[in-house]
Amino acid sequence: MSSFLKIAIRNLLKGPSTDPYPFGETFVPKGLRGKVKYNAKACVACRMCEHVCAGGAIQIREVADKSGLEFILWHNTCAFCGLCEHYCPTKAIRLTEDYHTAHRQEDKYRYVEKGFIKYVNCARCATPMVPIALELLNVAYDQVNEDIEKLRHLCPKCRQERAL
Amino acid sequence: MKKLLQKIAKKSPWLYRINAGSCNGCDVELATTACIPRYDVERLGCKYCGSPKHADIVLITGPLTARVKEKVLRLYDEIPNPKVTVAIGVCPISGGVFRDSYAITGPIDKFIPVDVNVPGCPPRPQAIIDGIVEAIKIWETRL
Repeated sequence: MSSFLKIAIRNLLKGPSTDPYPFGETFVPKGLRGKVKYNAKACVACRMCEHVCAGGAIQIREVADKSGLEFILWHNTCAFCGLCEHYCPTKAIRLTEDYHTAHRQEDKYRYVEKGFIKYVNCARCATPMVPIALELLNVAYDQVNEDIEKLRHLCPKCRQERAL
Repeated sequence: MKKLLQKIAKKSPWLYRINAGSCNGCDVELATTACIPRYDVERLGCKYCGSPKHADIVLITGPLTARVKEKVLRLYDEIPNPKVTVAIGVCPISGGVFRDSYAITGPIDKFIPVDVNVPGCPPRPQAIIDGIVEAIKIWETRL
């Protein structure tokens, strides 16, 4: 009897265990995989994310006027598995902790994460190419010196000529 | 009398759950949303009901497999109008990872007018509650 009373009083003092959401704040566990955030500045367009995407949500394609590449991720077929984040060499894709995914039907095809990578011209031959992100250099080299910085602005062909 | 009923009905939409070939992940989240005190969807005046004839808001999970399609459509027709449809999870919305499979006939909005989408694989209980809140807003305008 006394043990029962103890539990009853403890529960009374503890208050309701119901999460106050949507009327109040809720908790977000650390590492929750929510909506995707894309950083076009760090992207090197290796298309690994497009390749590993389980739901086929990611598309990287050249825009009509050939001035750059367009990144589109449709959240409505994304399984939030995090493979894109795992395989991204420069960590340009991040899964945020934003779980508010409910939206109306009219926004179905607008529920996307978009990004645009503008081509830059090669410093020597002026061929348009995907800019090489600093993040990639940091992955590839211990220290980024002047020579590497020069190579960064060259297209693959000119880079090869210079290196050999 | 009718006005009074309409006023009351606004505050208590009943939920009905259709599993259109779901993997059960979203269904578990739906059960969590309704059945455990932590998320308690009944605070919004909602209640799960067992018969489609009592339903106001329909929650659909699953990619609408070829085998279950006719049954789901028949069940959907049994729900009286007005009704609000909520697609839970990426499968009914777009097919998700099952898209382009021979075994599924979805996405579900090819056959059923959907009002609210809640993507996720599965969505969090809080996201489902968000979707139900959105559905209740639509339900109030339809009465």
